[in-house]
Amino acid sequence: MRLRLKGGRVLDPANGENGVASGTVRDIEIEDGRIVAATDLKADAEYDLGGAVVMAGGIDLHSHIAGGKMNLARLLMQEDRRAFPEMPGNFCGCGGGRAAPTAHATGCRYAELGYTTVFEPAMVGANARGAHLEMADIPNLDTGAYLVLGNDDYFQRLLAAGAGQEQVNAYVGWMIEATQAFAIKIVNPGGINAFKFNARKMDLDEANPHYAVTPRKVLTTLIRAVTELGLPHPIHLHGCNLGVPGNDETTLATILATEGRRLHLTHLQFHSYGTEGDKRFSSSAARIAEMVNANPNISVDVGQVMFGQTITASADYMSQYRNRAIASPNKSIGMDIELDAACGVVPFEYKDKSFVNALQWAIGLELFLLVEDPWRIFLTTDHPNGGPFTTYPHLIRLLMDRDFRNAQLATLNKQAQAHTLLAQIKREYSLEEIAILTRAAPARILGLKDKGHLGPGAVADIAVHTEDADREAMFSTTRMVFKNGRLIVKDGVVVELAQGTTHVARPEFDRSVDKDMQRWFDEAVGLKSKHFRIADGELRGGAGPTILKCEGVAS
Amino acid sequence: MAEVQTIHDVACGFCGLGCDDLTVEVEGRDIRAKAPVCPEAARLLRRLDTADPVARVAGEVNSQADAAKAAHHILAAARAPVIGGLGADMAGAGAAVDLAIRFGGVLDHYASEGLFRNYAAAQRTGWLSTTLAEVRNRCDVLLVVGDDPAATWGRLFERLFPATPLFAGSNRRVIFLGGAPGEKASAQLAGANVVHHASTDALAALEALGSLIAGRRPPGTRFGGIDADTLAGLAEELRSAHYAVVTWNAADLADGELVAERATALVDRLNVTTRAGVFPLGGRDNIIGVNQLMLWRLGYPLRTAVQGQASSHDGTLFATEAALTDADVLVWISAFRPEPPPDFGGKIIALAHPDTVFDKEPDVFIPVGTPGVDHAGTVFRMDSIVSLPLGALRVATLPSVAEAVRRIAEG
Repeated sequence: MRLRLKGGRVLDPANGENGVASGTVRDIEIEDGRIVAATDLKADAEYDLGGAVVMAGGIDLHSHIAGGKMNLARLLMQEDRRAFPEMPGNFCGCGGGRAAPTAHATGCRYAELGYTTVFEPAMVGANARGAHLEMADIPNLDTGAYLVLGNDDYFQRLLAAGAGQEQVNAYVGWMIEATQAFAIKIVNPGGINAFKFNARKMDLDEANPHYAVTPRKVLTTLIRAVTELGLPHPIHLHGCNLGVPGNDETTLATILATEGRRLHLTHLQFHSYGTEGDKRFSSSAARIAEMVNANPNISVDVGQVMFGQTITASADYMSQYRNRAIASPNKSIGMDIELDAACGVVPFEYKDKSFVNALQWAIGLELFLLVEDPWRIFLTTDHPNGGPFTTYPHLIRLLMDRDFRNAQLATLNKQAQAHTLLAQIKREYSLEEIAILTRAAPARILGLKDKGHLGPGAVADIAVHTEDADREAMFSTTRMVFKNGRLIVKDGVVVELAQGTTHVARPEFDRSVDKDMQRWFDEAVGLKSKHFRIADGELRGGAGPTILKCEGVAS
Repeated sequence: MAEVQTIHDVACGFCGLGCDDLTVEVEGRDIRAKAPVCPEAARLLRRLDTADPVARVAGEVNSQADAAKAAHHILAAARAPVIGGLGADMAGAGAAVDLAIRFGGVLDHYASEGLFRNYAAAQRTGWLSTTLAEVRNRCDVLLVVGDDPAATWGRLFERLFPATPLFAGSNRRVIFLGGAPGEKASAQLAGANVVHHASTDALAALEALGSLIAGRRPPGTRFGGIDADTLAGLAEELRSAHYAVVTWNAADLADGELVAERATALVDRLNVTTRAGVFPLGGRDNIIGVNQLMLWRLGYPLRTAVQGQASSHDGTLFATEAALTDADVLVWISAFRPEPPPDFGGKIIALAHPDTVFDKEPDVFIPVGTPGVDHAGTVFRMDSIVSLPLGALRVATLPSVAEAVRRIAEG
């Protein structure tokens, strides 16, 4: 099957092509789901793009789309589901919702925005099978999941017993394979575990009340493990003290703790708070951005706050227990999970007239605008924690249009306006930079060589947008979206459902760890390790995963 | 004579506790569970080497294909179907949701009463809960409200009280508030410090206990038959626990809704100063898994109607019994056990366990295999977090629920 997309302005930063700037148009050719070099062969179908902007399909590297906590969110926020019913004419029976959308709505809304790959950033091992079943029901998207590690009692015990790095690496490798994960996420390193022993906060160098292990030790050990196992994505870190004023110091210390090794700091906005001013809450975005700029080993995503009702869902039960005091509506769920991790689900409404929420909004934008390298910062709202992913077009306009941004800022809480540099920042993102943030850079940091670009060999996941000076309008709708070379969205409407794949990473590891894992599961967990393990055939309705084999490096 | 095959580490999907260390002997089509196994699993896993029943339409023997066609015709003409029972693995649950999307219908599980009693609390205020491995290793004080749950979950206390928990220490406390622990529970709790406070009104006792934990002494001297000083002592025990857990079986408690609410409030209060969690019991016949799937597919839990291109949820209106008053067709799904359909005057399509005894011959009967016996499948454990892969113990001669439903949809 050969397709030809004719006359598009190709925006492909990974290959250094910017048809928007140059004004040149060209064709893109697709054969059997992949992009190929142009030929003279007759195509089975041709699509006239009329000079529209062509980019690779969007890649969201951090969005909570599946797993037990999202189901708890759906259960707790039935009002969200009722307020956003099925879309007319686009029904295949699979519901709606906005902050906690159904699997179907997730796949369709993302596709309508031109996204074709999304990673669930907090899969708990004990819940991995359920998360994979749920991901299989998300249409139109390729997915993958980061395994939450570092708070599990097995790992804490290893560190407390002074285990060697090889032993840790074997454990991490075993867990990645067993849970069919793509990367390692650390959530509040050691803090979730400490909360089970009734600690209420955990700083970078604070000892776990039971194991005496510090978050610093958790972090540095796991950074080394993923490096030595050769996982493409660095440790994906949700740091200590989420949301706590003064956590800027922790964040800066965390960057220093890496000693130059790669680290991804996720939803950095929630970790960039100072304690200045009357309200003891201030922006440290400038300090932190400066540190990120100076450390090329660091990548970040923002976790931008968007105003309105949402629901927050996190493995960070320690922080979410604190946040339940400000739940809106006033209800929340918390859960300790299986010697493994935990979760906390707290509905929240970000209000533009609230000092704190308005400043959070400004801090996120400051980070976007002050971090200089678009290859090391990614566009996220930490869906749904900072806001639903459906707000991305609005966020893109805030980044690209200074007048619009300042006009929005002028409507917010007055005190917050006085506490942010935002009005003075002149930077406006270019379309090319947006394409880097949402396509090229995430593919690169995830090690997905055939995604995020439009060169020959790339998967034919393609988004076509009609250019519009109103960037929110432009990114709210797609003229066409292709998934593996199939047209799935036309003029903003889903016209076909595609079955995606799930990306998993497969490192080599010392398999002698299996015996100890069997013993641990038998004695401590009370479940057979072989039943914890997920077989390839359990993914995607039997189709199995897309495997990225990892080349380990000598330690 | 077929050889006797001994299969170890068999996972069990019946009660929701998710034991996965069973030993089973298979001889041809004959299946017999060996220890460790609870009486319910032994009964439900037991299979004889007998011929499967065949599909029936209006009581007449029929092929599976023709029975599927007949079911398709009934559904195509249906005005208001109920898809009930829903005793199915994850693949079967997905197929049932597809069926509801295709033909419309109310989706409910036959054991959902307890779940919705718990949800009354979970959806109003939320709750702070925990899972099996956490209870097993951390819980130093366990409060059991109502009757001894070991009658339903035969190995519950064995699973929760291993010989050497990681953190809970050797002097673990179990407080039975309500019914007395039976022989089985007592044996499994031999290593624990067990106390029983008989109560005819566990709710009243629990409510008073909650007040005492919150630092308020309620007026009165006895609550649910337990004197106030005793309850004050229990409150102190719970407050000084490192990790207290409250468990109950809402399905078995007439006022389960209120028990869930009071237990939730009590655990909320404990967490101000120490750690605690609720551990609600339930989970029979993959109800938790079906419910999970509905939440991610439809955005609503069980007791949801799919109709006219949209779903709506109502925990009262769309409970099976209430929904049947307005229905003309019941699709009854029960693959785990021979659970018969409820009394119903309309047409019945039964995708049921081969041993099901019907009060009234269904319009269509399609015998289906059991997940974890005849075919592989996935089920969720009661805590909604862990799910288990069930394996096949013998060659399937009956279709799975997923296959049977697919054939019906195709007509």
